[in-house]
Amino acid sequence: MSPHLVSQLSVGGATLVLLAGLMMLWRRGVEAHIKAFTAQSVALAATTAMVGWFAGDWQLWAVAALLLLIKGIGIPILLQRMARRFGTERELEPYVNTATSLLVGGLLVLLAYVVTKPLVSVSQLPTRTGMPLAMGLVFVSLFVIISRKKALTQVLGFLMLENGIALLAVLGAHGIPIIVEIGVFLDVLLGFIVMQVFVYQIHETFESIDVEQLNRLRE
Amino acid sequence: MSVPFLTLLLPPLLAAAGALVLPPRRRAAGALHAALGLVPLLAALRLAALVLDGWTPTWGPTDLFRVDALSALLAGCVTFVAALVALLGPGFGREEHYTPSQVRRFRVFASLFAFTMLVAVTANNVGVMWIAIEATTIASAVIVPLTVSKASVEASWKYILIGSVGIALAFVGTVLGYFDFVTLVGRREYALNWTVLMANARVLHPPVIELAFVFILIGYGTKAGLAPMHTWLPDAHSEAPSALSAMMSGVLLAVALYAIVRWRAVVNAAVGPVFSDRLLIGLGLLSLGIAALSLVIQRQYKRLLAYSSIEHTGLMCLGLALGPLGVFAAMLHLVNHMLAKSMMFFLSGRILDRYGSPEISRVSGLLRVMPWTGGLFAAGMIALLGLPPFGMFLSKFTLVRAGFAGGQGWLMAAVLALLAVAFVSLLAHLNRMLYGAAPTGVRQGEGGGWGVVPLVACAAALVVLGLAVPAPVMELLERIVEIAGR
Repeated sequence: MSPHLVSQLSVGGATLVLLAGLMMLWRRGVEAHIKAFTAQSVALAATTAMVGWFAGDWQLWAVAALLLLIKGIGIPILLQRMARRFGTERELEPYVNTATSLLVGGLLVLLAYVVTKPLVSVSQLPTRTGMPLAMGLVFVSLFVIISRKKALTQVLGFLMLENGIALLAVLGAHGIPIIVEIGVFLDVLLGFIVMQVFVYQIHETFESIDVEQLNRLRE
Repeated sequence: MSVPFLTLLLPPLLAAAGALVLPPRRRAAGALHAALGLVPLLAALRLAALVLDGWTPTWGPTDLFRVDALSALLAGCVTFVAALVALLGPGFGREEHYTPSQVRRFRVFASLFAFTMLVAVTANNVGVMWIAIEATTIASAVIVPLTVSKASVEASWKYILIGSVGIALAFVGTVLGYFDFVTLVGRREYALNWTVLMANARVLHPPVIELAFVFILIGYGTKAGLAPMHTWLPDAHSEAPSALSAMMSGVLLAVALYAIVRWRAVVNAAVGPVFSDRLLIGLGLLSLGIAALSLVIQRQYKRLLAYSSIEHTGLMCLGLALGPLGVFAAMLHLVNHMLAKSMMFFLSGRILDRYGSPEISRVSGLLRVMPWTGGLFAAGMIALLGLPPFGMFLSKFTLVRAGFAGGQGWLMAAVLALLAVAFVSLLAHLNRMLYGAAPTGVRQGEGGGWGVVPLVACAAALVVLGLAVPAPVMELLERIVEIAGR
């Protein structure tokens, strides 16, 4: 593969990953959010595999396979199970409405371009062109977490944040050392499982997964 | 070199496995758990002795684990509080209300929590350090709602969400640091080793490493309880079982601060201290301010202690930015805070068991109802206020002196003013609890057997640190200043 093609494929892959993140802002249903996350994880795995092929690095292939297995298949199955349980609960009007959310999302991506400017200018890798989009996803995910009211939506925001960081690592440095990578996967999986338990617990205790009710502890 | 590492890291895992299979109410199971809690403390002391003898113990492929003076100090703090928790945690108390399954769950996850913190402070690889700190959130969040209530469920949700997101941001910073290294030096398995990063720090790109540090400071700062990312802390610390609060406040905050200190040394070697100093002073002062003002309006004693933790973390953060003497003071303060705050949370657990209410207004006549607990609670509060003869007087005094010596007069004036606000409000709250008539229905008499003895030892240690810092501790601190002081 020529570096030029790799550069274009990186931008293409990163764009898909980011677009799936922006879907969180304009769709309301939990089902749509889960589909967006699944699509995002698959796009991330594909981008990782592409970079692995270009760099001739088998470790990235392993990472891509893990991504597909854990984030593309495993976690979405668990998410679907939660959605079936809480599916009747629609996302309430978020703290910020859809039009404003999308505007904020756009501004955050612009901000990501400004913030990552020094990164892109020091790197020589052809994959660096996708880094601003990865950082954009990090910012958009943060916005999703603070502006949405359902515990389940916040969990999805967190998972997308992790995807954004994984993309940043793949494009900027062709992945982090494998031992760290495996540890990160383990953490994400365990963290997700505990969060899932907590969402069930919130539902049992408050009879809803609307985090607006979590306002007992104040002062 | 593997023996001290194995005796440090293996017992917590064995303790977790043992608690999982053994019947929690059996005395032998409790004794075994306590014994396994004590072994890592001895291992940490052994490692500290090796460091003082001039060694830097390492272990594992590509020196995965490495203990220098900074690691040794933190490992000592973590194992000390973990040993206290194994000795005094659920399962041992006479007046507690935990079911056997709750005791089991607590022992399993508290042991894993201790294990993850120990890995975090002994890992040479900053990526492994990150993994371990993320795992601390998971292990500890599970047992925040040990007793399920609306308040504890809410606290645990805030904790895991804000904690995980914060730590994720620290990972962005870690990735950016690695990115810069790879761009300059190329891909290496050991590139995330703290020693390798330090050795190559001078050539790192300033704008990239500065951006990385901003993410790292926000990320680990969230775990350390620095304002404005502190919002999870008062909830989690007040709703968690008291033994867990002791671990979270006494050492988890310190472990997060440790991660900041490690990265700050890399950043300072790359771009000089001015950049990180400004950020640390800003966050430290903000934390101190928010905590001092929040202390005034608190109605619950565990929340009071939680805000006091934010105050002290803010103070340590400021100390780091005040030159070598400031770093020295901050690290001494870390040890003092570990002793004082873990003792205070254990005591507040005893008070909660007896009075059955977390409200300050429902606790009165403490000195008469539980003379030992009341006396130690008063001593601990006075220690936290920074009065002699306790250790915090010395560390606070040194910190302020470092500030004035560094030409930060105005900053120190602001710090002293905020400390005065905290002083007055803590003293007022303490008065309300110690004196007056005990509420009707509250049983008189200390009770709880020997449970108070280890806490007396904490208070004694605070006095020793207040009179004169023992020579080995002093030497350890001086070596830390060499590592992290500039």
